[in-house]
Amino acid sequence: MTTAPDRILIIEDDPETAAAIAHEVQALGCAATIATTLPEGITLCAQDFRVIVLDRMLPGGDGVEAIARMRSTGAQAMILVLSALGRAANRVEGLEKGADDYLPKPFEPEELRARLRALLRRATMQGQDNDLLVFGALEIRMKARTVHINRSHVAVSPKEFELITYFAQNAGQVVTRMQLLENVWHLHFDPGTNVVDVHVGRLRRKLEDAGSHAIQTARGEGYVFAPLPAP
Amino acid sequence: MIARSTLKLAAIMALAISLLSLAAMGLQYRLVKSRLTEAATAALSADLAGYSALYQQRRIIALRQAITDRTSTGGEMLLLQDRNGKRLAGTETTWPASIQARDPTASYDDFSGAEAQRFTHNGTEWLGVARILPGGFPLLVARSLEPVDATLASLRKGMAALGIVLLAAGALIGTLAAKSVMTRISRLNSLADQVASGDLAARLPGPRSPDEFGLLETHVHAMLDRIENLNRATHRLSDTIAHELRTPLNRMMQKLAQIEGQPALAADLRAEMRRAIRVFDSLLDISRAEADQGSGGGLLPVDLSAVTAEVWDLYEPLAEDKGLRCTLHSTPDLHILGDRNLIAQMLSNLIDNAIKYCTAGDTLTLTLSQHPDHHRLTLADTGPGLPPDLRDDAFERFTRATRDKDRGIQGHGLGLALVRAIAARHGAKLTLPEVQKGLTVEMLWPKLAT
Repeated sequence: MTTAPDRILIIEDDPETAAAIAHEVQALGCAATIATTLPEGITLCAQDFRVIVLDRMLPGGDGVEAIARMRSTGAQAMILVLSALGRAANRVEGLEKGADDYLPKPFEPEELRARLRALLRRATMQGQDNDLLVFGALEIRMKARTVHINRSHVAVSPKEFELITYFAQNAGQVVTRMQLLENVWHLHFDPGTNVVDVHVGRLRRKLEDAGSHAIQTARGEGYVFAPLPAP
Repeated sequence: MIARSTLKLAAIMALAISLLSLAAMGLQYRLVKSRLTEAATAALSADLAGYSALYQQRRIIALRQAITDRTSTGGEMLLLQDRNGKRLAGTETTWPASIQARDPTASYDDFSGAEAQRFTHNGTEWLGVARILPGGFPLLVARSLEPVDATLASLRKGMAALGIVLLAAGALIGTLAAKSVMTRISRLNSLADQVASGDLAARLPGPRSPDEFGLLETHVHAMLDRIENLNRATHRLSDTIAHELRTPLNRMMQKLAQIEGQPALAADLRAEMRRAIRVFDSLLDISRAEADQGSGGGLLPVDLSAVTAEVWDLYEPLAEDKGLRCTLHSTPDLHILGDRNLIAQMLSNLIDNAIKYCTAGDTLTLTLSQHPDHHRLTLADTGPGLPPDLRDDAFERFTRATRDKDRGIQGHGLGLALVRAIAARHGAKLTLPEVQKGLTVEMLWPKLAT
């Protein structure tokens, strides 16, 4: 039985950028629909899209200002704002006005793919409330905020626990440094140094000392949490 | 404040009115007084002229007779004695102690009132002439000044009452006038407060009055329109710069992804692009923070202790890996009015900077403490510190030490400029205290009013 591919709406006025986004969408196995103006996007948004990639400085207005209107017309999709307004203040504004994620231009294709995957997954995961996340020998107990490998407790700091939880929620997929900074540290600026790497490195060593090679580096892209050894 | 200046203005007006009126009344009083005194002197002179005429005809005998006949009327004091001080005639039995009979200076026959003197007897004021007539007969002729004093006293009483009424009336009129002026000034003041708190679109409602106040309001509105337009233009410009810069960079980035076989070069180019964007973002962030400086708009209560701890946690492992000894002394629950993201960005810049310059073995200490009128945040390191020639403009844009360029330390000289702009945006006082070793940055944050 084949299911219809997930649909993603791209509201973007620059044809080259729209084509680049569509390319990444198709690489994820999804179907892309492109709208080049804001009014066109708003009329389309109530269809069964899983994710809407929304530009800001569009013919017809600011995409972020239209989020509330899109929601009120019944749009259920996750909204990823992809905009040249990429300063920290712009990002915070976009998230406050209802965007589910915010990626500044210029974006790297891997970063966009990672964001789209995370949003697609969030759309399916919503409503699930598991206390225990099990990845083979690795167990994460959400309420107790503890991590166990092969039944033995691994001492992690509160931040490291949040880090491993975010990894676990995106298990098997590339997670970028920017995503970690935004979702684990709630910081929306580029600190310039790879300060996140040090934290991931520490967590990774703790897990490795306990016998798990769950965190791996995805070259040039970020990290992958893949606790189950490839068959 | 407003009430105080209203009161002051009203008091000044009341006092001015009362003083002017009192001065006018004072002049009047002096005039009345001199006229009454003149009248009393004239009456005395008339009396004396009468006695003088009698004396010239029949000397002491006629005088004695006349005085004896006059004794019945009040308001007069008459006394004629013989050379032994024995009373011959008069209203008095003895000579009053307060007036001395003198030898005449003018002719014996002339009793003019010119040498009249004032004296007090039995508690009343008298105007009189006392002299020794030829043969040693002391004569005293005096008129009571009591009616004059009574008139002047009632005049004074009337003036005092009028003065009080004037003062009250002045105060009332002054208060009303001052209030109407102050109401219009406080209208402008509350507008200024609104603008200062970040509402650039605030304007005074209602029509302008056709006077100087109306003109002032029109001028203030014109100024605010201009400020608002400039502010909007600044924001629009930064959005336009972002759009026009990032859109072509984005196309480059996409094309870069299509280049195969040279991953190292592609990664280098990406890093270069990211750096260029960071420089532009920093510049735009600085100008935005400077444009918003002083306006409380957009600031929310922020737990400074929590943000500090978060950013510290983020950087501590990096510093430890570099061999620095790190300590955080933080008082919990210190709140300020701020922008969490900007504060985090600022702290991140400061700590990152410190880590960049310090070497293994150096210490890095972040202290956040509460003081009576501010929260004090200091970041102290024992690194190389600032070169002395750089101290004064360390916070200027694009300031970089030559030794950094020589040593190949990367940077664009905007980190501390952004720190200063963000501190100013929050009304925090930023200083570099003199220290023995390394660099200490101190910030005094205004407390959140509770």
